Amino acid sequence: MKKDLNLKVNVLPVLTYNFLQVNDSAITGSDLNIDKLESPEAKALPQGVSVKRVSFAEAGELFRKVSDRINVSTGVPGVPNGDTSGRDASQAVRTGMGADVDNLMEAVGAQVDVYTVEEGVKAAEPVVLEFKMDKGQGVLAGQVIHAKKDSEITVVMDYNSELDAEGFLGVSTRLLAEEGAKISLVKAQLLGKGFTHFDDIGGAAFNKGAINITTLELGANKVWTGSYINLSEKESELNTNMGYLCRDDEKLDINYVADHRGKKTLANMQFKGVLMDQAKKTFRGTIDFKNGSSGSAGDEQEDALLLSPDVVNRSMPVILCQEEDVDGRHGATIGQLGEDLLFYMQSRGIDEEEAKRIMIRARLKSVARTIPEPGLMERVNYYIQNVL
Amino acid sequence: MDNKQMVADIDHSLYDFKDIENEQDFYRMQEGLTEETVLKVSEEKDDPEWMREFRLKCLGIYKELQVPDWGPSIEGLDMDKISSYVRHKSDMKGSWEEVPEDIKNTFEKLGIPQAERESLAGVGAQYDSELVYHNLKDEVAAQGVIYTDLESAMKGPYADMIKSHFMKLVPPTDHKFAALHGAVWSGGSFVYVPKGAKVEVPLQSYFRLNAAGAGQFEHTLIIVDEGADLHFIEGCSAPKYNVANLHAGCVELYVGKNARLRYSTIENWSKNMYNLNTKRAIVEEGGRMEWVSGSFGSHTSYLYPMTILKGDDSQMEFTGITFAGKGQNLDTGAKVVHQGKRTASVISTKSISKDGGIGTYRSSVIINSTAKKAKASVSCDSLMLDSISRADTIPGMDIRTDDADVGHEAKIGRISDDAIFYLMSRGISEEDAKAMIVSGFANPVSKELPLEYAVEMNNLIKLEMSGNM
Repeated sequence: MKKDLNLKVNVLPVLTYNFLQVNDSAITGSDLNIDKLESPEAKALPQGVSVKRVSFAEAGELFRKVSDRINVSTGVPGVPNGDTSGRDASQAVRTGMGADVDNLMEAVGAQVDVYTVEEGVKAAEPVVLEFKMDKGQGVLAGQVIHAKKDSEITVVMDYNSELDAEGFLGVSTRLLAEEGAKISLVKAQLLGKGFTHFDDIGGAAFNKGAINITTLELGANKVWTGSYINLSEKESELNTNMGYLCRDDEKLDINYVADHRGKKTLANMQFKGVLMDQAKKTFRGTIDFKNGSSGSAGDEQEDALLLSPDVVNRSMPVILCQEEDVDGRHGATIGQLGEDLLFYMQSRGIDEEEAKRIMIRARLKSVARTIPEPGLMERVNYYIQNVL
Repeated sequence: MDNKQMVADIDHSLYDFKDIENEQDFYRMQEGLTEETVLKVSEEKDDPEWMREFRLKCLGIYKELQVPDWGPSIEGLDMDKISSYVRHKSDMKGSWEEVPEDIKNTFEKLGIPQAERESLAGVGAQYDSELVYHNLKDEVAAQGVIYTDLESAMKGPYADMIKSHFMKLVPPTDHKFAALHGAVWSGGSFVYVPKGAKVEVPLQSYFRLNAAGAGQFEHTLIIVDEGADLHFIEGCSAPKYNVANLHAGCVELYVGKNARLRYSTIENWSKNMYNLNTKRAIVEEGGRMEWVSGSFGSHTSYLYPMTILKGDDSQMEFTGITFAGKGQNLDTGAKVVHQGKRTASVISTKSISKDGGIGTYRSSVIINSTAKKAKASVSCDSLMLDSISRADTIPGMDIRTDDADVGHEAKIGRISDDAIFYLMSRGISEEDAKAMIVSGFANPVSKELPLEYAVEMNNLIKLEMSGNM
């Protein structure tokens, strides 16, 4: 199948000055080769976990049935200046990249694998999906991970190809963590230099449910990634941990949102990365405290290491708040290696280039070491160690 | 029973008196914005030819540009109901005694002549669309400092200087309301501080928009030459009417090599005011720009003073506080562009939201590839005093060199129970503890102001703590 693309994605939850060019991003392309519309099968399925392949719209029904719980509004409605929430209201569950990705998936007939974890089941082993991409291949596919009450599951997604391969991979992953359930999603992207890639995540956590998302964006030429998690009910929790490396003329576009609706909800979002050569990165991170989310806390930290005079780093750390009793924080450190650190390294006989390499590895490995699948962790470490 | 603390609204009554005006004493231009009204303003001002053409060009731009899609709603503002020009039928006075009685009363109630006697090197007072009083102390004039109204300066020895600077920093194409300003501007001040002159005490402009359904479009142009130093204070107020008023002023500041300019604003427009003001400064090598900004009034505000750090080693510091109460939507912040090497900027803001007010901090920090060794630091704290208000933080950063150091911190929260508990355990009452914490929150701004103004600001905040509720 050949496909033209013209998607408006990663729309900032609140618009700001147009000259900053961060309000949204566009994925465009013509005659894109799409030859596969499904995910690879899991290497092994732990006991108590089942999988069913359905259409994109059908998979959305799971979320539509509980949309009152996901989009619960307990307090006074109110919107921030420049609000864009209306744009993605049609989605079964909101995702970071937004409705255009859903529409594309439906239009091409992408299949969704729905992984269901039965009540009380704590999956002993992670579910591993390896997207081993061939040269020139184009894939669009979706997954839903549904963790029923008090269950636990870890899903590892491994996107890889030959280092110099080109191609296209678009993935949509939607998550539902019911009462007391815990979903850990790990995605490692080691695609070849010629790849265009998008990775869209959306989901909700109910009462004491937890969603953990770990992502490593190390390869590909153009990458869009977004995540929108509704912390819909009391004491639900979100932890995200992203590591990225952008080299050459790579582009990375990020839009992560934590939507606090329930009381005492918790979000902790960490973004660590390195920009080199002529790489461009746009980061949007939003903590949204809706009215009624009293007792909630949100923390967002960005650490971007810039290692070339030609990089472009755009950052939009947004906090929206309509609740008195909350604690919202954001911190960003953007720049090169500190002179003190370099001096220390040099005094230990390590030259500047080697010091930089050590610091890049340290940043990425701090994320990589949380990968629960030993084989993938080894490959990621090898990549970090040797590709630089 | 739970004790609940209450922070009162800003007491606006101090500014809310309306002067009984005699209609025949005033000239009021017909509402709406057409080529005819623009030409009429131009004729009233006896503009030079270039200015008349400039106004018409701006009107054309105004018609083409759209209102911003990202900020607070300005649907309540109907330009067809705003009169762009209102003036008293008397000329500007150089002595206080000559100012017409009704206008004098207004400014006396606001304490302007008092301030002038005690702590100002000069004052300009604008009433509706025109400056009504201008005075510069002799010793400051002797330093060669020029402080006058912009219209007369445009015809005097500084005509060329004004022509080469007017709306060059804020071009009319910048946004719709900059174009509007260019078309109908009137009043405002021109300040020139010559090389090396240090003005020891501040100059002040006070803007009062007294007429209902009117717009105020004053233009402030300040040029601080090499090595010179100036503190300029701007105050704004208006009584409350039931119809929308509009303030679309423009401030252009040129800070020369190794010069310093501090620009302080206490804005307390009434709550029917749309404050769509544009302020911008350009700083040459080694120069320093300091902004102190307090936003308390207005129904809707778009206010983001911008600084262009053009010269190497230039610096800027922005300290701001915004208090958004009932019915207010205040979208404020700052913008900075780093161009020169080793440039440094510090943005520090505080925002308080209560009674359904919407306080938005919005900013942009741009570090161009030429700004090697630039340093930028942003810190914005928001305090929510209830759960029907909003406090949003929307900062943007665009960094295009590795050789820069950018830090950003934002915090949103409420008054901490622990802090109140700690102070109470030291024998301080709950009310005093709360008052102390909120004053402490506002302190970084009030300490930047001259004493008289800090007192005025504290009066404005009037964070009255009451007992049981």
